Formats: sequence, C-alpha cells, structure tokens
Amino acid sequence: MKTVDIVERIEGEAKLNLTWKDKKVSDASIDFLNFRGFEYILENKPILDALVYTPRICGICGQAHLLATVNAIENLYKNSGNELQITNKAKILRELGLIIEIIDSHIKWFYMFIMPDVIAISKKQYEGYTPLKGEKWLGAQKGASEIIKALAIYAGQWPHTSYMIPGGVMSDPTLLDIVTCENYIDQTIKYFEKDIAGISIENYLSLNSFEELTLLSSSLRDFVDISFETKLEQVGKAHNRHLVLSDMIDVKPGLYNKKISNNIDLAKIKESEEYTFNINKKDNKKAHTWSKSVQYNKHFYEVGPLSRAVINEREFITTLHNKYDDSTFTRVMSRVDEIAHLLIYSKKLIKQIDISEDSYIKPKIDLKSLENITATSSVEACRGSLVHTLSVNKGLITKYDVITPTVWNLGPKNNIELGVAQKAIIGSKSLNESKIILRSFDVCSVCTTH
Amino acid sequence: MAYDSQEMVKKVFNQNSARVDTNKGEEFYNNLFEKTKARLSKLRKQPALKDIDIIDIVESEGVNRRDFMKWASATTATLMLPPMFTPLVAEAAELMNRLPVIWIELQDCAGNSEALLRSSTPTVDDLIFDVLSLEFHETIMAAAGHQADAQLEDAVEHFKGKYLLFVEGAIPTAMNGQYGTIGASGETFQEHLMRLSKDAAAVVAVGSCATFGGIPAAAPNPTGAVGVMDLVKGKPVINIPACPANPANMVGVVLHYVLTGQVPELDSLLRPKFAFGYRIHDNCERRAHFDAGEYVEEWGDEGAKNNWCLYKMGCKGPMTFNNCSIIRYNDGANWPIGVGRGCIGCSEPDFWDKYAYERPMADAHIKAPTGGVEKTVDEFGLGLLTATTIGIGVHAIASAVVGKRSVNNGESEEA
Repeated sequence: MKTVDIVERIEGEAKLNLTWKDKKVSDASIDFLNFRGFEYILENKPILDALVYTPRICGICGQAHLLATVNAIENLYKNSGNELQITNKAKILRELGLIIEIIDSHIKWFYMFIMPDVIAISKKQYEGYTPLKGEKWLGAQKGASEIIKALAIYAGQWPHTSYMIPGGVMSDPTLLDIVTCENYIDQTIKYFEKDIAGISIENYLSLNSFEELTLLSSSLRDFVDISFETKLEQVGKAHNRHLVLSDMIDVKPGLYNKKISNNIDLAKIKESEEYTFNINKKDNKKAHTWSKSVQYNKHFYEVGPLSRAVINEREFITTLHNKYDDSTFTRVMSRVDEIAHLLIYSKKLIKQIDISEDSYIKPKIDLKSLENITATSSVEACRGSLVHTLSVNKGLITKYDVITPTVWNLGPKNNIELGVAQKAIIGSKSLNESKIILRSFDVCSVCTTH
Repeated sequence: MAYDSQEMVKKVFNQNSARVDTNKGEEFYNNLFEKTKARLSKLRKQPALKDIDIIDIVESEGVNRRDFMKWASATTATLMLPPMFTPLVAEAAELMNRLPVIWIELQDCAGNSEALLRSSTPTVDDLIFDVLSLEFHETIMAAAGHQADAQLEDAVEHFKGKYLLFVEGAIPTAMNGQYGTIGASGETFQEHLMRLSKDAAAVVAVGSCATFGGIPAAAPNPTGAVGVMDLVKGKPVINIPACPANPANMVGVVLHYVLTGQVPELDSLLRPKFAFGYRIHDNCERRAHFDAGEYVEEWGDEGAKNNWCLYKMGCKGPMTFNNCSIIRYNDGANWPIGVGRGCIGCSEPDFWDKYAYERPMADAHIKAPTGGVEKTVDEFGLGLLTATTIGIGVHAIASAVVGKRSVNNGESEEA
C-alpha cells in the first residue's frame, strides 16, 4: 500500500510518499516541489549584490546566509593573500545576530511546528498548544517576537537584514542599544525558565542524567511525558552519524561516527543531483524533488542541534543520546536544549563588546581586482551547517553554490544508502508518527530548493 | 566620476513633491462616515467567525481602553481619514473577527509570514492578528495534510465572495508552472492562485515576490516568475510590497476593508496610498543631514558614527515609496536606515536588478518606477496625505540647501 500526504506547517510544503508493508513504513520519499533558482540568478551579478540576495533564500535563517556570504567574500580576499582585519566588535555583532536568530527559530519551531502534532498523538488533552488560540502558542509568538528585537536594535529589521559587509558591519550601536539588546535576552531567559523548562536556567544547565528529566516542568515536561507515552524515544533513528562544519556559536567542528573526530576537511563534501530535477536536464526519470543530496566523505551525515550537542559532548544531551540514540525524542530535546546554551553564551558575548572599537575597516584592495578566485565558508544555522562556495572574476560572480542544512538532513538517497530523514521514517507505524519524525528535523522546503 | 550630478539632485529634491492637498472635502467625508456606520452595524449583526474579542485580548496584554483609543486615533490618521472616524476605526477593530482571511504561500521564503509572526507585543496593531479570522494559513494553522486541504476547500465554499485572499510568493509560469506545485493533486501555483482568487472578495499580494515577482523574477528569471497582478484580472488586487512587507500595512488594508467594505485608494502599482504615498526620504530621520549636505562617505567613518545621510552609500530612500521611516520594523524596534544601512528600495518593482547594492543612485542610471527619477509624488497622481502623521514641508527646507557642501566636495575630490 502507498500513501501520499502533504506536510504543511513547516517552511513551505513537503510531499511525503510512504510505502507500507505489515503496517509499517517500508519505503519513504520526501519531495520538495518548488524552485526559485538562486544559484542561477546570482551568476553574473556584482559580488556585493549577493549580500542582498542570499538572506532572501530563507525567511527564517537569513542571518546565517548573510554571514555565510560575508565570510565567503572575506575568504576571497584571504585566498588572494589579502586577508582582511575584522574587529572583535564586528565579529561579535555578527555572531550575536546569528545566535538570536537561532534562539528565535527554535522557540517558534517547538511551539508552532512540532507541538501541535505531538499533542495530537497523546491520549491526554493539551489545549495550551492549539495553534492561534492556545495560551502557550500565543506565548511563543510573543517570546519569539521579543528576542528577535534584540537583533533588530542593531541590524535594522528581521527577517532579511543586510547589515554585515566585508570588513565589518555597517551599524555602530550605542551603549543604550547594547543594554537594550541584553535586556531582550534577559527577558527571553525568564521566558525559558517560566514557560519552556519550568526551572531556572542554571538548574536546567546542570541537568546531567536521565533521571533528572523529572525535574523539568512546564512545556518541556509536557513534551517528555508525551514522548514516553507514545514511544518517541524509540522512533526516528537515522544513521546516527553527525557533522558540524563551523566553529561559531560556541561549538567546535567535528564529526561523530561511533566516535568523535575533530578533523574536518570541506573538500570532502560532495553534492549530487541524481534524484533531483534540473533546470537544464529535463529528462531525468529518477528525479522526484528539487532538493539535491550531499555527502561528507561518501556518507550521509545529520547536521543540526543534536549533532552540535553530540560532537561537543554537552552532558545532558549526550546522556540522552547514549540511551536513546538519534531518536525523535533526542532530536527535539537537543533543539530546545540549545536555546538555553545560546542564551547564556549570548550574554557572555555581549559582555565582550567594546563599543569604542571600529565597526568596519575598509579592505585595502578593491574586490573588482580579484581574478578567478573561489572561496568557501561555513556557518552553523538553526537547522545545522550551511556552506556557501563563491567564484568570482573582475567584480562579477561566476558561480555560487549553496548547501543548506536541510539538504544534509532531507535530501534524497543515493544507490548506496538512504537519506537521513528517509532512514529515520522507515519503520514507523503510523502516518502521524512519520510526520512527527519528519518535523523533528525542522524541515525547510524553501532553503532546500533555493 | 562624480557622485552626484548637481542638476539632477536639484531636480529630484526641489520640486513640490509631498506638498499635496489631503482634504477631500466635507461632503465626501460625511458621506463616507454614514456609509461606514451602516456597514459596521451590518457587520455587527453577523456572527463572529472567531470566538475572540479584541478588547479582552487588549486588556489581557495590559493595554487599557484609553491606549486602545489612542491607537485608533493614530490609525485613523494613518489611513488618512479625519478624526471623526476614530470611534469607527475602534469599532472596526472589534469587528475584525467577522472577516475571513485565507493566506497562501507560493514561490516564497516564508519571510512575510515570519514578519507577521514577529509582531506580538502589546501594540494594538499586532493584537489584531489574534482576532482576525485566519481561516487558512498553511504555516501556522492547526491542520496539516489532507485535513488542511479539506479546511481550505471548506473555507472557500463557505465564504464564497467574502474572504480576503492573502498571497505570499511569486508565481512561476515557465515550464507549464512545474517549478512550483502544491497539494496532493500537484496543482501548479498558478492554477492554485487562479482557483482561489476566483471566489475572493479581493486579493492582497503581500511582499515584493507576490507583488512584482521579487527575487525569483531577478534576471535571468529562471522560472518565469511573475506577480499576482500579472495573472489575476477582474478582481480587486492590493499590493503590499517590501521584503518583508510590514505587518502594520497588512493590518491597515484589512482594517480599511472592514471599515468601508472597499479596498483602500491605490496608486498605479496597486499599492495603498496610505502606506506608499510618500518616499522613505520624505520622512527619514536622517533627512536633516541630507539637507545640511552631511553624508556618510564610507562605512564606519565619522559620518556613519554621527548618523549622517546614507545617500552616497547607495541609499534608495529618495526613490522608494514606503512608510518604513515612520512605522519601522519589528514593532518599531528599528529599521535599516536607523542602523546605518541604506535603503535598498525593496518595495519597488525589479529592485533586485535595478537598485544594485552599493552603487549610488546617480551612477546607476535607474529609471524610477514612477517614470523617472525626477517624477515626484504629486505628479504621480497622489492626492491623499494627512499632515498629522507625516512631516510635510521638508522640501521647502531642502530646496535651500541641496547641493551645497557635499556635492561640491564630491566633485572636487573626484576631479
């Protein structure tokens, strides 16, 4: 038997095709059926124009794309032997922007994208999570709107800001701006303590064993209870291979494949279009999605908060991961767990800002003088590692390639192994469960198919 | 190469521009007032589609009745109506739960939905979205999958001819629309839009993609992307461009519709004049520095530290029609120019290709959407600004000082 279902309440829309055998999913494919063509559009555009284009690949992780573009352009300078000097202040303002966006996205994802499905499989009533009405849903809308203002204060707006520029940032926040920004973060810490974890953030961050799950209350406790009621700790297991490519947001790059290694070589990343529609080759019979697939060293790897927590050996999530592997339960817990870590880390970063430093140092050479140079950058976005590769010649972009986190997690299979989310879904016993497994990856159709 | 042609700058800024007569006469307003009153009392008799009361919400967020009336008064001015309409605007806000709204996403990045979701502090504008009867929104509603499909069909059937259709995202037309399909049936975005707009009272295109094709339509437009108004004919279309569109303008359109049962007055690009009737530049907080000839010449220079004018850094404020300089973004937290980044003209057609990032306007050979850089607001046929919320009269000051120090400096440096 086969079923086809449409998954909304993600970013964009996905089509989930499932084949059933003995009341279990025996095969799954995930189709993303929209396409805009950013990589084609960016060709032959002036280099700095990319700063305005790439954030608009995605309305959720625009900061990550902006930072990836800025880093890629700065790496062009570096690869030509003209490394730019960036002040600490500019570096912090960029990283802080990225972090605020991640916190914002995780809050919204938990309450608006996955909890409405999770409560639906429980036998108990959890009315607070009903979209557009429930008190917790509305609380999350407010929580997400408040934290994003910490960024708007010095970035101008969100989504789609473009305040970063090769050489630094354009904005020059005052002490009052910095204090205001920190205040929004403090408010969000309070929100985390009251609504999300139900315990103080210090207590939360000291959790380190499975037994201590019972110390949680509020929304996270609701999720834990429903998970064990509906066995979410047993489903959604993929390859259990993890990858982190960038060293920002308080994590180290590395990979996990039974054990952790910290040697990462971006040259081992390979994209494939075997199952992907292509704007130039229209006769690919195998194609079923606009998403490409991507491998590191010939294997599929998962990216995202779970991967970041495992590779950086964060105690609480590592404990859960040891016990329940890369299950849906562990994956959701790590995304929420990251909110707490990033809130504390962002406070630390703010304290390091020296407002008397320059925001911007002008590059000594003109971008237009660079001939036939290529550079790559990687950034940790809310959904995982993001890679931009940019080739330029005499001021124009000759090629722009983007590999988004969702491509790592939701790209199609190849003839050797299954895609990450595909593997996670196979074996599931119901449609609702399959959809929760899919959602646990924080699906973004628009990023994937840029 | 000169940064500015002195003549051109004079032309742009010395014209009558925003000096427009906003008053449509007593008879017009009295007539509108009676019509509006009748409409609101009719609406009140209709059952609420959503069981939420704005006043409850307002009060639960710690806004009192007095603040609510203050908001109503400011909104009346924003909608360019005389103060006598204030009680009606307040009443219209209470009746918003009578208006069904369907929101669809096509070739988009979800940025406008995200902007909409990021407005929830206790300002009444934002609370209105809790009251609005959002019958369908695929990103935030409860239903998903087949259930959502069914919900959409029900809403269309039940509210035939009455709902407002909000569209986010462009529509790809190349390759028979195969660059974007939706739902289990694999309907193309274009078919989907045509089917749902057929029974809508009006179609609201939200964001620059839905209005003008936006980024997907940037050269070489690989997917043949177009905006809603290129496809939907014989139906009122309202464009709320910008990337992302400002939620306050979405509220303005909805409120105007509740109030009058009509779409607000639109310009030739179908943008509501209350929001797009004047330029960023007309009300920019850095305008005084433009007038004084004080420019940022380089990112991070003394001018940047002192919040001077960003015109020479490529700011497109002087040719971009939008109200961000007044309402700003993220609940008024800030806006691009507020943090020292020039306007990129994101609410203008084809801004991707025409308004490139770093080039100063004078170098860019841009033809403004209104027909040319030198065309100004009133030549464009605008008759509708209220002096209460909009700082009119800045042009008188501008004329005296344009081209003074900076332009001369610019030329002598380059010479």
